Amino acid sequence: GGHTTEILRLLSCLSESYCPRHYVLADSDKMSEAKIRSFEQKRAETFSSAQFTLDRIPRSREVRQSWTTSVVTTLYSILYSLPLIYKLKPDLILCNGPGTCVPVCISALLLGLLSMKRATIVYVESICRVETLSLSGKILYYFSDYFIVQWPALKEKYPKSVYLGRIV
Amino acid sequence: FRFKDSVAEELRRADLVISHAGAGSCLETLEEGKPLIVVINEKLMNNHQLELAKQLHRDGHVLYCNCSTLVETLQSMDLSTLKPFPPGHPEKFALFLDNVFGFQ
Repeated sequence: GGHTTEILRLLSCLSESYCPRHYVLADSDKMSEAKIRSFEQKRAETFSSAQFTLDRIPRSREVRQSWTTSVVTTLYSILYSLPLIYKLKPDLILCNGPGTCVPVCISALLLGLLSMKRATIVYVESICRVETLSLSGKILYYFSDYFIVQWPALKEKYPKSVYLGRIV
Repeated sequence: FRFKDSVAEELRRADLVISHAGAGSCLETLEEGKPLIVVINEKLMNNHQLELAKQLHRDGHVLYCNCSTLVETLQSMDLSTLKPFPPGHPEKFALFLDNVFGFQ
């Protein structure tokens, strides 16, 4: 729920150049779809061209799931998201920390290696992360094109990151 | 409250909020402009959730205690010392992305 609220805030000031928007959710996520539809509905009131889609992939990792099983479930999620990313061919992948973003980004990277159009990966670490990165953040710090943090302590620890202050 | 979808209504009517250190609870409360006391659960000391609560306390936006000191905190608190919590700036993010993609 927190991740969804944050990402919708990140989207709130984007122009319609960022269109169509493809939302990818974990299959077990029960709350985000309503928030997304409500956000897009409001948006459609201002921008008649607003378009979006919603897809679900298997959740790659439950909170505090063990390492070994996490690798298996993440691999399964990657296999599942490869055809989805291939179909969507995104220009930009925006993610902010739930485990769901890792298979999506890895799929995009793999497909990019196989000469599909390369997506720009922008990762925004959650505002809850003041001193340490989330697991998704630790992984995607090395694979993202732009890695944004919201507190100065993280900018110091992770010099390749971008610090814009609080953006949600 | 276990079965309520949202405490937004109660939050708007509250004069003081006492909450755990969950980020959602803290931010929702601060954005509503309500004074907040965060109660830290000592058993979860290594939980990263504490990071935000600690930072908010350092910045003077929340009061902070644990279960055993809650009563004392309530008795001696001075809510006027709490600083208002400014909103975030998603427009800075939009500007950043526009620069990345060359949009005007």
